[in-house]
Amino acid sequence: MSLKKKITLTVNGVEVTAEVEPRMHLVDFLREELHLKGPHLGCEQGACGACTVKVDGQIIRGCLYLAVQANGSVVETVEGLTKSGALADLQESFMRHNAMQCGFCSSGMLLAASELVEQQPKASREEVREWISGNYCRCTGYHAIVDAIVAVLDARAKGQKIKPVVANA
Amino acid sequence: MELNGEQLIAAPIPEVWKGLNDIDVLAKSIPGCEEISRIAPEEIHAKVMFKIGPVRARFAGKLLLSDIVPDQSCSMAFEGSGGAAGFAKGKSRVELKPSEGGTLVCYTTEASIGGKLGQIGGRLISASAKKIADDFFQRFAAELGGEILPLEGSPVKE
Amino acid sequence: MKAAAFDYVKPESLTEALGLLAEAGEDARLIAGGQTLLATLNMRLSEPSILIDITNLSELKGIKLDGKCLRIGALVTHTEIEDSDLIAKHAPLLKAAVPHIAHRAIRNLGTWGGSLAYGDPAAEWPACSLTLDATMIIHGPSGERKVAAKDFFIDLYTTSLASDDILVATEIPVSDGAQVFCFQELARRHGDYAVAGLAAVAQKQGDVLTQCKFTFFSVGATPVMAFKAQALIDGKKLNEQLISDAVKVARAEIETIADLTNSAEAKQHLVGVLLERALKQMIA
Repeated sequence: MSLKKKITLTVNGVEVTAEVEPRMHLVDFLREELHLKGPHLGCEQGACGACTVKVDGQIIRGCLYLAVQANGSVVETVEGLTKSGALADLQESFMRHNAMQCGFCSSGMLLAASELVEQQPKASREEVREWISGNYCRCTGYHAIVDAIVAVLDARAKGQKIKPVVANA
Repeated sequence: MELNGEQLIAAPIPEVWKGLNDIDVLAKSIPGCEEISRIAPEEIHAKVMFKIGPVRARFAGKLLLSDIVPDQSCSMAFEGSGGAAGFAKGKSRVELKPSEGGTLVCYTTEASIGGKLGQIGGRLISASAKKIADDFFQRFAAELGGEILPLEGSPVKE
Repeated sequence: MKAAAFDYVKPESLTEALGLLAEAGEDARLIAGGQTLLATLNMRLSEPSILIDITNLSELKGIKLDGKCLRIGALVTHTEIEDSDLIAKHAPLLKAAVPHIAHRAIRNLGTWGGSLAYGDPAAEWPACSLTLDATMIIHGPSGERKVAAKDFFIDLYTTSLASDDILVATEIPVSDGAQVFCFQELARRHGDYAVAGLAAVAQKQGDVLTQCKFTFFSVGATPVMAFKAQALIDGKKLNEQLISDAVKVARAEIETIADLTNSAEAKQHLVGVLLERALKQMIA
């Protein structure tokens, strides 16, 4: 019963065609077939958020979405969003505020944060905390992550950039 | 997990006892029962598909009867494996008492559910078990041609 | 863990979908948002042989105002409900409830119809649909039928949907200006399953509420309405005494059942807490 299905989708700006088993979820497809290791697998139940990716412009749980469902869609991972610069200020802010330790949650955190700054540019600290409560971090204790996101919201509101931590980055 | 209950069935005790021991009646009463057979006088094997919410878990189970007092009571030990979904193990005691209108079936059950079903299905395990037991008795009573009667003092459902 | 293998098909029409479902029977599962289903499959708590993807079915999409009636398609996502102007205007209770549903990434895919079809006692939409007097529009092998929300949620995880039915949409009578609402949900952490919740609407004149609809969720096997408490306060001036009486009546009439983390007594207590908070908020 492993009849494969043909899918065509755009991943990080590149058109991809593949044959996949229907049961293969999107993150397994991205990691195993396309070797995009940015999205991670934690719980495979939708609770931890490590698998968060963007499909057709909105964040979703890659473990709760089948590759076959992504047929005809536009998929973006942290790799593509880094290349396009869409995550640049968030990434600088994460570095500046020491919001990563092992980095396992970071891809998911950045994806979640990117939709927050888009959808709720006036979010309070409390609203930031609520928004990212769907992304688990075992290392940082979260405060640094919240600080980093709040800093980006502040900077954007003032039309400012986050000062790069590393020169010539 | 404990599940204790009473059901009043509008049928005389010998009929209820006979029904509880009749494989064909049990086959129609157990919700999701796909296969059932009596391997020995005191051993029953069954395959049951449990449907609770999003879960569809097929359990292959064994029922071992003991302390049988005809028309009165018996004990049961059961264990079932649900494959990747988990397993269930437990024991039950069923007593039949005469009552106005028919037979009062009293049951006490102690069960442990392990594996994934126990972890993430565990949220409403007691409520689910109660529902399965209720469903069983509805069908069982219908099979006997009788019906479930409300117990005195129990709230009438709107 | 990975799901067991299955086949996948994406019908183009409702008729085709119903045909596929009838053919495959108990071995098929419908997939819409998949936020509950795929987690279940990943854990191998269900091993269907085929998934029928209903996300192409146009009859199940969209939010429309039809005269005095708001029609919400089964495929409408939680995020779409949150962003909808029609919902904000005509069913603001729903907009207030959305932030309590899981987390954003899940809300972007999870659907109104999916939540109603599962009938999880802790879910927000079943309770809201009861409070708002929704009518479910169901399509099955013998055609269309309508079921009122009060008849739709029958028992634990049990609705009027047969295994060959598809929930297509709901119709909600439109609220007018004098309606007030209150949505309360208690959970251990944001996005967790509710410990107890209340979806309430009423007509308000000063500190008098009429046509009260109070639906409690995550306290019983299905969402439950507090009919006696509603009747008690209907048309009367809401003061401390009446609120206290309503709380007592609600605690007595709602039969609570325990779940993994909260006893029936705790839930019973919270029924009163939520009602008091809601009443005070609604007349403020």
